[in-house]
This record gives sequence, structure tokens and C-alpha cells, in this order.
Amino acid sequence: MIIETSGLEKTYTLGKVSIHALRGVDLKVEKGDLISILGPSGCGKSTLLNMLGALDKPTEGKVIIDGTDVSTLNSGQLSELRRRIGFVFQFFNLIPRFSAKKNVEMPLIVAGVKKKERTKRSIELLESVGLSERMNHKAAELSGGERQRVAIARALSNNPRYLLMDEPTGNTDSKTTQEIMEVIKRLNQDDGVTTIVVTHDHNVAAQTKRTLEMLDGKIVKW
Amino acid sequence: MEFTEIIAYAASAIKLRKLRAGLTILGIAIGITALVGLLAITQGFQISLKAQLQRGFATDTIVVTTQNLGFGYELKDFELLIDDAEIIERIDNVKQTIPMLQKNCYGNFSNYTIPISVVGVDFAKYESVYPESFKASAGSISSYENQSVAVIGKSVNDPWQNGTLLAEINRDFEILYTTRSDFEFVNETSPFKCIAILDEIGGATVGGPSDYSVYIPLERAKSFFNTTETSTIVVQVEQSDEESIAQTSKKIEDAFDSQILVVSSASIYKTISSVMDQVQVLMTGVIAISLLVAGVGIMNIMIISLMERTREIGIMKAIGMKDGTVLAIFLSESLIMGLVGTLSGIGFGYLLALGVNNLDLLGGMISSATEGTVMGGIPSTPILTTTNLLSALFFGIAVSILFGIYPAWRASRLEPVDALRYE
Repeated sequence: MIIETSGLEKTYTLGKVSIHALRGVDLKVEKGDLISILGPSGCGKSTLLNMLGALDKPTEGKVIIDGTDVSTLNSGQLSELRRRIGFVFQFFNLIPRFSAKKNVEMPLIVAGVKKKERTKRSIELLESVGLSERMNHKAAELSGGERQRVAIARALSNNPRYLLMDEPTGNTDSKTTQEIMEVIKRLNQDDGVTTIVVTHDHNVAAQTKRTLEMLDGKIVKW
Repeated sequence: MEFTEIIAYAASAIKLRKLRAGLTILGIAIGITALVGLLAITQGFQISLKAQLQRGFATDTIVVTTQNLGFGYELKDFELLIDDAEIIERIDNVKQTIPMLQKNCYGNFSNYTIPISVVGVDFAKYESVYPESFKASAGSISSYENQSVAVIGKSVNDPWQNGTLLAEINRDFEILYTTRSDFEFVNETSPFKCIAILDEIGGATVGGPSDYSVYIPLERAKSFFNTTETSTIVVQVEQSDEESIAQTSKKIEDAFDSQILVVSSASIYKTISSVMDQVQVLMTGVIAISLLVAGVGIMNIMIISLMERTREIGIMKAIGMKDGTVLAIFLSESLIMGLVGTLSGIGFGYLLALGVNNLDLLGGMISSATEGTVMGGIPSTPILTTTNLLSALFFGIAVSILFGIYPAWRASRLEPVDALRYE
């Protein structure tokens, strides 16, 4: 088991209003799993994914990754942990002034990988998502589908042990969606990358090994 | 993250907002320009002043004068007479005295009439005290008692510095002196023979020979100007260490009941230096404020940059960038701007100093203050010392780090999820 949560709760305060985004989530993710999380907007899917990616801290409960309670880690250790996780954001979150290649390289630069190695790796990754022609274009000049693929390539650059994806097909047509799903399935099958995909596309969910459904901050269906 | 990558990242962020970064850099550059320019001017001035004072007139002399040196002395209405030199000669440590009778006149050379400063002095004595500067480049200086001969300073001979020479050896010219007899103005005119033209002396002299004067024998001056009043008596001493000079100066002052001004090269240097120091303190205050303003500018820009790039910081943290790296990137940004500003400020500052010097703004100011006194104009060349360079560099860097630290710290403390949610 590589990811486990118990009694996970998250409460935001927006001005005077408290929002209970998560109301007690217990989740176990096994190595090599390919899970989709379905649910309507505002059900807490993204919040849960942020917790699993060590980007956010729970109000109550624990997130255990590789046997370590995330809440016990200091900021340096959290950074190290995040380097082992590939995270694909809902809105791509590329850095617009950098080229596609530089964006993919960024996690490697941050991790201090030598230039030669990281150039090779980023070119390979961009080829694998079909963007070898566009790699020197700035992120700002790419289409939505292209940005999505750059974001996936970036998430994979560090050879992550698991991949967290927030609506990776939210902005793509059915053809691109299928291409992305093929990449995800191949990584899961061939490389054993544990993957969690947040989506509201039932077609995407149907292609995963397991589907969870969330409603009002809780997992309602396994 | 590698150091070069941190710098490259910081540079890419600066390039994104060129105009804004440029203006911030300008702010720093202005402060540093002022700092470097001022230091170069004042130090260059002090160094050349000291050199002038050591070279331009002998260090074993004291000058007794009734003139105001233009540095805030308030003098009484006191007449110093040529015979008063005898009082001075009786004081210990005094080797000899050279009374000087100085008047402002007109010199009438064949084609031109120019204002000149005429000094009556004993040639032999004067030469013995100032062998280096009372030296003929043409003709020869011999001792004359009461004859109409003149030794001409270089700038009198070549007043426009363009090769138009007025005097010629063994040729007569006229000295025109306007005086007053009862209710009438009387023009005294007398021919003098030019026997020597001095080498260029250059710069400040207190009592010593000047490029701007015409020298005639003392006895002839007494009869020509019909006076025995002197403005200046040069006193040569036996012991010329600082303490002996101070003691002798004090004794001379006491002998004249403090009605006269007694100056030595050391005391002049001290006076001018202290004026320059005060100017420097004042200017340093202004510069400190301008650097402070520039620093606030850096902080302002970095905080705006932080707000604009909050989302970017969130992304970088989500892909594993450490707090310290974020801090380093932001600090590098302010440091790069600070360094560029400082280096260009050093360049501009030196140019400023050269410009001020070439336009003779400062020298002009000082020579107009000292003109017509026993001091001549003081030239100066700006000096860029290593110490000044390093201190400018230090202040530039210190300001950019000091004011960059807070925004950098705030950036490093952002939580990734909050930063990502930021719009």
C-alpha cells in the first residue's frame, strides 16, 4: 500500500463562511492501482487530490504516503516528497514564458539533474506525447490539448512512483482524450505507475481499474 | 537546484518586465552615481590640494596676511606694514621674512590691456624660499633694488591659453594703477621691463609664486604705489615640524594681538579639508536618502512581482522546489537589479565627476572664492579609488539585499495550494 488516508477532513473558511470540503475520507491505494474518482463539481475531488499530492494539509485525519505521515514532514521533506509525485493540474499550470521543453525540464532542474540528462529526458517525453514538433514553442503559444500533454509530460519527467491527475481530459476532444488515456494506461501497465485520475467523464472512469464516487466530501461508492 | 539555474530563472523573470526593472535599476544607479561622483570629486580635490600645498609652496613657511582667504575668517580693519616684518624676525625659529606688497592693476602690453595682480617682493629672498616655483623659463631673475623691472607669471603672458603671448624679454610694458588723491582719481602709469617669464606653477599658493601675478622689486613697489602697507608677509622658519610651526604661528599672532591671520600649508589644508568634510557629510546624507528611496523602489517592485507570480511560485513548489530556492530566486532578482544599477552608477558617477571637472564647476567655484587672495585656482582631477569602488559596490548590494529580503521571504513561505488558487 503506498497511499492511505484515514478520517480525512478539510474545512476552508472563505470570509465568514466555512466550507467542509472533505468530511472524513478513508482511502487505500495499492501499488500499481489505476483509480478514477468521479463526482459532481464541489464534491471535494480536487481537495482530496491536493492532500494526496502533499500540496495541502488536512484539518483532521492523516495522509500516509509510503508509510510516512505527511503532517510530520518539514517543508524540505515535503519538497522531496513532491518530487516523487507526478501531478497534473486541472488548468495545466504551465509557466507561460518558458518553452514546452523548459516546462517539462523544470522538475528536473529543481531536482538538480544535470543538463545533458534532463534535455534528453524532456525530449523523449515530449516525443512520447506527440509534441516533438512544438517543443520550442512557449507554453502560452500552445493549444489547450497541447498544454495538457505538456503538463502530463512534465508530471512524468521525474519518473514518479505515482501520478495524480486532476481532470486531465477536461479540456480535450474525444480523440485527444483517448490518446491521453492510452498514455495513462500504458504507463500503468508497462511501468507500474500508480495513478489516480479525477474526472467527471464516465468514459474515462470506465477505462480505469477502479472507480470511486464522491459526494459532499465523502466517498459514497467504491 | 543549480546556482546557474537559479540565476537564469531570476533573469528570465526580470526580462519579463523590462521597463519596470529598468526603472528600478535607474533608481539604484542614480544613488550610486551620486555616491561615486561625489567621492571621486571630493577625494580627487583633497589629494590634488595636498599635493599642491606641498609642491606649490614650501612647507617651511608661514604666511602672515590681512587678507580674507575666503573661508569664513572675519578680519579686523588692521594695517600691516612692511616694517612689521622686523617684529616677526625677532621671534624664535624665524629664519627670514619676505614682505609682499600686492595691488590689483592693469597691465598695458603693446596690443592688449589686461587686469593683473602686481606683487612687490625681494627677488633674491623670494627665490631662496621658492626655488622650485620662482624659476624663469625665459630670461633670468636677478636681484634688483629699485628698478622698473618685472618677472611675469605664465598665465599673465598667455592669458587665454591659446598661444597669444603678451610679454617679451627685455621689452617694456606699462603698469597702470588707479589711486585716489583727495577727491580725484589718479592713474599712475609707469613702464616696466620684463626680465623673466616664470615656468608654469599650477594651482594653489599661499604666499608663494602664482601664474597670475607680475612681480616687481619691493622698493620699486613702495615708490610706485606710494605705500608701506603690506597685505602679506611670508615667514620662513628654521624648524618646520608641525608643532614648531604651530608654536611660531601662535607667537606671531600674539605679537599682533590676533589682528592678523597666520596660515601655514598644514592649517590651510585643514581648513579646506574640514569644509570639504562638511560638504561630504551633507551630501552623504542626501545620497543615503536617495539609496533608501531606491531600496524602497526595489521592495515595491519585488512585492508586485511576488503578487503577479504567486501562481507560478505555487507551481514551482508543487513540482518540488524548496523554500530556500524560492528565496534565492527572489533575492537574485533584486540582487541582479541592484548590481546592474550599481555598476552603471559607478560608470556614470565617474563620468559625472569628469564632467564636473572638465566644465570646471567645482574648480571654478573655489577659484572664484579664492581669486584675488594669496591663493590661486586649485585644479583637481577626480579619483576613483578601489576603496570607493568597493564601498559603492557594497552599498548597492546591501540595499538590494536588505530591501529584497522581505518579498523573497514572503515568496518562500507561500503554501503551494494557496498559491495555486490565487488569481
